[in-house]
Amino acid sequence: MKWLKHGKIFDPTEHRLPNGCVQFAQSPQTLVFDNFVRIYFSTRSVDAKGKFLSHIAYVDMQKNLRDVIGVADRTVLPLGDLGCFDEHGIFPMNVVRHEGTIYGYTCGWNRRVSVSVDTAIGLTISHDDGLTFQRVGSGPVLAASLHEPCLVGDGFVMIIGGVFHMWYIFGTGWKKYALDAAPDRTYKIGHATSPDGINWQKEEARQIVADRLGPEESQALPTVLRIGQRYHMFFCYRESFDFRKVQGRGYRIGHAWSDDLSSWTRDDEQSPPPGPPGAWDSDMQCYPHVFECDDKIYLLYNGNQFGRHGFGLAELQR
Amino acid sequence: MFQWKKLGKVFTPQEISGRAWLKEFAQAPATLIMDNVVRVYFSCRPPADTSGQYVSYSAYVDLERENPLKVRQVAEQPILGLGGLGEFDEFGTYPVSVARDGDLVRAYYAGWTRCESVPFNVAIGAAISYDGGRTFDKLGNGPVLSYSLDEPFVLSGPKIRRFNNLWHLFYIAGRKWKMVDGRAEPVYKIRMATSEDGIQWNKLNRDLIESRVETDEAQASPDVIHANGIYHMFFSYRYSSHYRGKQNGYRIGYASSRNLVDWIRDDAKAGIDVSEQGWDAEMISYPHVFELDGKTYMAYLGDQVGRHGFGLAVLEGRLE
Repeated sequence: MKWLKHGKIFDPTEHRLPNGCVQFAQSPQTLVFDNFVRIYFSTRSVDAKGKFLSHIAYVDMQKNLRDVIGVADRTVLPLGDLGCFDEHGIFPMNVVRHEGTIYGYTCGWNRRVSVSVDTAIGLTISHDDGLTFQRVGSGPVLAASLHEPCLVGDGFVMIIGGVFHMWYIFGTGWKKYALDAAPDRTYKIGHATSPDGINWQKEEARQIVADRLGPEESQALPTVLRIGQRYHMFFCYRESFDFRKVQGRGYRIGHAWSDDLSSWTRDDEQSPPPGPPGAWDSDMQCYPHVFECDDKIYLLYNGNQFGRHGFGLAELQR
Repeated sequence: MFQWKKLGKVFTPQEISGRAWLKEFAQAPATLIMDNVVRVYFSCRPPADTSGQYVSYSAYVDLERENPLKVRQVAEQPILGLGGLGEFDEFGTYPVSVARDGDLVRAYYAGWTRCESVPFNVAIGAAISYDGGRTFDKLGNGPVLSYSLDEPFVLSGPKIRRFNNLWHLFYIAGRKWKMVDGRAEPVYKIRMATSEDGIQWNKLNRDLIESRVETDEAQASPDVIHANGIYHMFFSYRYSSHYRGKQNGYRIGYASSRNLVDWIRDDAKAGIDVSEQGWDAEMISYPHVFELDGKTYMAYLGDQVGRHGFGLAVLEGRLE
């Protein structure tokens, strides 16, 4: 695959966002309309303790994916109630059209004491073309289970032949890599199916994409598109510790393909390469989202600093 | 109304020495009948840490089968270790419920983690014993029953039963965290799930027992026994706020069912309440009813939710 990189296309600091959010536009995910593209992302406010809260917002863009029409001017989805899985953030949200509504699969964050956080996947539904979403319940639809002990999140859903498929990540565990270090986590990509998008059957801890960096590779944010007869998955991967600032250990974009939705062959060469030194995506590429719009195939993704300054676009050359 | 004759406190954790993990509390008694003893699993705590926080372990005490007021021995070690960093049971395995499965013993337990905005969260894990209930191996590092759409947090108090060739798990699920005097207090309700294999569970997704004392009544310890053609549930309930004393504290309720799904609550029939004085004069909770050699017993907790141990009562008459 050859990608034409269009560079960064959205900078959150240039817009007035709801919920007092000022930086970050992470994990862009699209809803394509006839005349425009709505791109959801997670942005951040800061709470009374000085800690981040991730909120969902969106930007509407012309189909040239260059011109901004406008950004969300009100809350798209409030955070969860006290003690709920999504009390401290929603990041990311994946949207899929279903029977005249839009299902929004959220990754909800809640803070812990011995480790920083746990996550689970929730379901919300929009009846107003994606302006706002309402929860189906206050708990998650996919959470930790017998062999997926923590950090179930990053759901990406496709309906194929009447079956809901979800690719998501599950934590394999937390580990302290140094005595004075905060615990770091490792997660892998898994797969679940559902007849209705609500009741899910996991493959239970089957890692579907092989590691490239070894067992301590963390894989995140799978996104899948069928191109021709083949399913292509993009995701991001990194080392499990020292990944924030140390050169070469941060997120890069990986790729795998499958002809049967079951076995996946990893082939990272198909991903767009990082930018040259000094570019917005030189040090890090993460949170990819592949989609089709007017017969073109695009990849949205975040660059340096996990998307603090926005997201960019690449276009598949065919 | 059932007539329970109280036999007094049977086990006092403060009297046991040489076990650093067993300083106080003997909560949520659950029995396994053996040839010569009644093994009573319970949950206990070592001293609180420097910030006043507890962890919980589960262990057992063997009572003489011929005279269950007499302690024969206490477990040398907890039956389960605490979970690893960031796992659901990192800070406690409490309570535990056991059932025989052929030569094996199955245990379902609540695992505790600590949270920032609320004090804790809880999910239900599973373990199996291959040595008759002395030690247990966890089936996995994660929970076997966890949070779902309308059971968003605090899945606890499991009671495992086998009825009609199907595993039944009675448990509680959190409904809301209620702020009371600046403190988050959990409200939970009694729920049920069924399973063919004890691993894949189908939740019923509804409250089994209607709330009585207030909408936010908290219900716990749904202990079910089948006797004389009826399913009997003894459980405990309390008010949602200021429940750590006599006024709003735990009492024992009762409900019955013919199909395990539809339950009729009738607390007046429970037949056991706080005493005039003594170890159970302020609250009474976590009932567990079991049959032994033609008699029906209830193990239960008294004041401070079992800080000083559990007691026994014996039924005068039949469960009907």
